[in-house]
Amino acid sequence: MNQWNENQPIFVQIRSQIAALILNEVTAEGEALPSVRQIATDLSVNPLTVTKAYQSLVELGAVEKRRGLGMFVAQGARQNLLAHEREKFLKDEWPRIYAQIQTLDLDLEKLINKGAK
Amino acid sequence: MSTQTALVRAQDLRKRFKKTEILHGLNFEIQPGRIVGLIGHNGAGKTTTLNALLGLTDCEGSISVLGKDPYAERAALMNDVAFISDVASLPRFMRVRELFDLVEEIHPKFSREKANGFLQGTDIRANAKIKNLSKGMVAQLHLAVVMAIDARLLVLDEPTLGLDITYRKRFYKRLLEDYMNEDRTLLITTHQVDEIEFMLSDLMFIRDGYLVLDSPMDEVGERYTQLNARNDSIDAAKALNPVYQEAKFGQNIFIFDGVDKDQLAELGDITIPTVSDLFVALMQRDNETQGEAI
Repeated sequence: MNQWNENQPIFVQIRSQIAALILNEVTAEGEALPSVRQIATDLSVNPLTVTKAYQSLVELGAVEKRRGLGMFVAQGARQNLLAHEREKFLKDEWPRIYAQIQTLDLDLEKLINKGAK
Repeated sequence: MSTQTALVRAQDLRKRFKKTEILHGLNFEIQPGRIVGLIGHNGAGKTTTLNALLGLTDCEGSISVLGKDPYAERAALMNDVAFISDVASLPRFMRVRELFDLVEEIHPKFSREKANGFLQGTDIRANAKIKNLSKGMVAQLHLAVVMAIDARLLVLDEPTLGLDITYRKRFYKRLLEDYMNEDRTLLITTHQVDEIEFMLSDLMFIRDGYLVLDSPMDEVGERYTQLNARNDSIDAAKALNPVYQEAKFGQNIFIFDGVDKDQLAELGDITIPTVSDLFVALMQRDNETQGEAI
């Protein structure tokens, strides 16, 4: 029933879903993204929550709001997002993952070969 | 947000029936564009609060809706306020189109075209007699009527009571799709709070005639933390003054108000409590001595 995980605010999760549309090139640069109302209706969430998710992507330079027309993928959005996500991964997630690799005494080379399969 | 723009403002709102006071001085504001959930047990004062706001009951203290006193200026207010009561009924002897005739006559802001539009895609026909419609269809019809009124405030008291899950979902989707925009405000009471939790922008809990919580949803998530504490951290967790604690299935669950999330994360797994978890926690707070539940 519940499509959300309880560890993150909903707007962050919606933001990730929109970011995935851009990163996976489902919606190309310059193309229109779903409207706030459509996302709010589809997910049964408050429209302000969706607006907040879009707002954070606008601030990253990934989405641009065109008055009266809606939300569009900005030029260079994918690069901006990738840079942001890489930085976030290295800062927030990698130290924890690296510590766990060491705790489990895993061999880095084997891990990478496994990941590539 | 400026208090100047508040759509609803209640100050020291009190209601007495004979000698018993049942609303004990509520203070709250509702801003335009919000979806507010008013949650409480039966008898907590939800319906009385709504009645005060709709001008259906006279109260002490003050309440204004769209700048008007609802009790004194009820007729004028009803141009901009629509309402579905928990005991709402539609005239059963009428046909759907006759109902629309009636509402068209009595309400200046009712759009028949819109109402007909809302019925498209349902099984409700204009010629159908209301008494022959199922409970879910009556709820759909009722929603179609109130949504076709160009109101600035829509008040729904237990609107989905007795409906099955499919109808409930469709009902709320409709509201988001066709009613809500930044100038319109929705106030809902419901027991099935889990279903609308993510629709809400603001949360109000009422208990025994007192408001025990009145907060925007995103602040609720920042303020409250649920902790599933590790066994060796239980005493440390208790020392941080949880507002609620419970042991179930060998897990020790705590809810904290305003405690640093990083600090709590060191004691176990932290999550944002659901509205129903929070409801249980805050409604029991005074009745149970802390520490007894574990």
